[in-house]
Amino acid sequence: MSPTWGWAASIVGAAGLVWWILTKMSVTAFFTQILNGLSFGAVLFFLASGFTLIFGLMRITNLAHGGFYLVGGYIGITTVRATGNFFLAMLVSALAITLLGLFTERLLLRPIRGLEKPEVLLTIGLTFILGDMSLAIWGGDPTPIPKPGFLNGALDINGFLYPRYRFFVIACAGVVGALLFWMEKRTKWGAIVRAGVDDRETIAALGVNIKAVFTGAFMFGSFLAGFAGVIGGAFLTLLPGQDFEILLFALAVVIIGGLGSLKGAALGVVIVGLIDAFGKALVPELSFFTLFAPMAIILVVRPRGLLGRV
Amino acid sequence: MVRSLSTTALVKIGLAVLGIAFGVAAPYLFSSFVIGLFSLALIGGLFAQSIDLLAGYAGLVTLGQAGISASAAYGVGYMASRVGAGLPAQLAVGLIAGMTAALVFGVMAMRSDGVYFIMVTLAQGMIVWGLSIRLFRITGAENGLTGIDRPAMIDAYWKYYYFTLLVVVACWMLLGIIVHSPLGVSLKGLRESETRMRMLGYNTTALKLYVFVIAGFFATLSGILLVYLNEFISPSAVVLAASAIGVLEAILGGVGTLVGPMIGAFVIVFVQNVVSIYVARWPTLMGIVFVLVVLFARRGIVGAISDVWYRRIAPGAADPLSTVIAGRDTPGL
Repeated sequence: MSPTWGWAASIVGAAGLVWWILTKMSVTAFFTQILNGLSFGAVLFFLASGFTLIFGLMRITNLAHGGFYLVGGYIGITTVRATGNFFLAMLVSALAITLLGLFTERLLLRPIRGLEKPEVLLTIGLTFILGDMSLAIWGGDPTPIPKPGFLNGALDINGFLYPRYRFFVIACAGVVGALLFWMEKRTKWGAIVRAGVDDRETIAALGVNIKAVFTGAFMFGSFLAGFAGVIGGAFLTLLPGQDFEILLFALAVVIIGGLGSLKGAALGVVIVGLIDAFGKALVPELSFFTLFAPMAIILVVRPRGLLGRV
Repeated sequence: MVRSLSTTALVKIGLAVLGIAFGVAAPYLFSSFVIGLFSLALIGGLFAQSIDLLAGYAGLVTLGQAGISASAAYGVGYMASRVGAGLPAQLAVGLIAGMTAALVFGVMAMRSDGVYFIMVTLAQGMIVWGLSIRLFRITGAENGLTGIDRPAMIDAYWKYYYFTLLVVVACWMLLGIIVHSPLGVSLKGLRESETRMRMLGYNTTALKLYVFVIAGFFATLSGILLVYLNEFISPSAVVLAASAIGVLEAILGGVGTLVGPMIGAFVIVFVQNVVSIYVARWPTLMGIVFVLVVLFARRGIVGAISDVWYRRIAPGAADPLSTVIAGRDTPGL
């Protein structure tokens, strides 16, 4: 099948799907679900972009990313409770998780550098430790992070009501996404990362300190995960086990979108966010299962994802 | 035809006879609680062996095997608890559920390898978990399914232990035949270099599907054994930790062997039950053991023993755990 026909079939399929959904729900409900999907996708974007950066450069599948998210959120709660400042909590969490990332990369992952499967298994062990320690420190009750006052309540667009905070989340992802694309395309750091994704050996031979780049990338990915923990924790609430739940969504994003590319992550979060939102609304009993079919199809047809680079 | 056996083979046979004798004598030596743990460890060992067939022999590390064993367990539980069907129907639906999951997941995963394979299988296991907590009509969600009775003939704890022992030993022998068959050897080829196997004309995609389904069969059996042992099934049997602990057992015991996962399962089951008396934070301890084993002891207990055996005691004998690829010290990892 030629690409043109593939695109045409996708568009017809998508139009049919929208029509079918509109027979099931009102237009208002439809737009609400679109925004639900996009705001959840926005949280996933912070996770998936860091995940994909780390994988693209280092071939490390950091399954502790979900654990980083959860711990980041909990640190955010503690900071908000102590200072009352939501934005300070974002910064504190992101920096704390950056340190956690530094520790993980330098002390735990470096001794087994290059052994891909042991690296993955180590990060899963680390997730168990982080999850259980969070349970010990912050308890097992579902906890939302208090939002800043001006983001509480709903925004009224000609009678269409939707929570302000979720618009804020979508806007944040848009700004961070634009910043990441700009950094990747226009800055020296982005050039090093792009070159590193394509050929690690050559860029090391050209005199770039690849070990420092690896550490930097790992810390940056962790920074985004900690940030995501606070921004997501404020509307998804934090509870034990969410580390693996959010990890499943991040994996679905990179499996569908493709690993190692920022575009793939951006496309993946929109697809996964929308599937999840409409799935929950239409067939609540199958809410995780709705991710299954698209993942299965992508894996059989394009094992490296829609826009995968590695 | 009579041929003389090497020292290594004699030692192995002696240990196997000792192990089986110990297994048969155990109910006369230990309390019902300990025998319950023995049953649990045997089932866990079979589960870890099914993971090791993929990870250690074919080089395909999976983090979703509990999705298959739990599908089988839920099949049994649904028929017993919700439908009220008899034993044959319970077993049939359990087998069908487990094998369907194995086949579907295998088709999904067969084109990936390495870390992609880990990610795909992890997602599969998590999706079964998602169904188990949401699909209340079938799974009973967080409450799980109760009212699953052991068959009357093997209801007593020691009878069920003997039954488990029988099934696990039979599976072990079957796995031994499989890994030494031409299929098993081609799995090792897949583990060492998939590209080379494809160059030699093997259909590696089909090979991966075969091994996934075969491993899924043993996982299915372990799931059915477990659901009758506990007479209960709940989402905690499908959490990621359930799959990960099987991987940990395989690595701790010795990946790329069949005896390793069984040893690993006994160690983990007994450590978990002893430690849980003194500290509440078992997941943390498990995570720490996981990290330490991956960092420092990837060859596991059997790997360490065979290192000493083949280097010091019986040099010259062919070490079955040696791998071809340089720099990779552990089969499949």
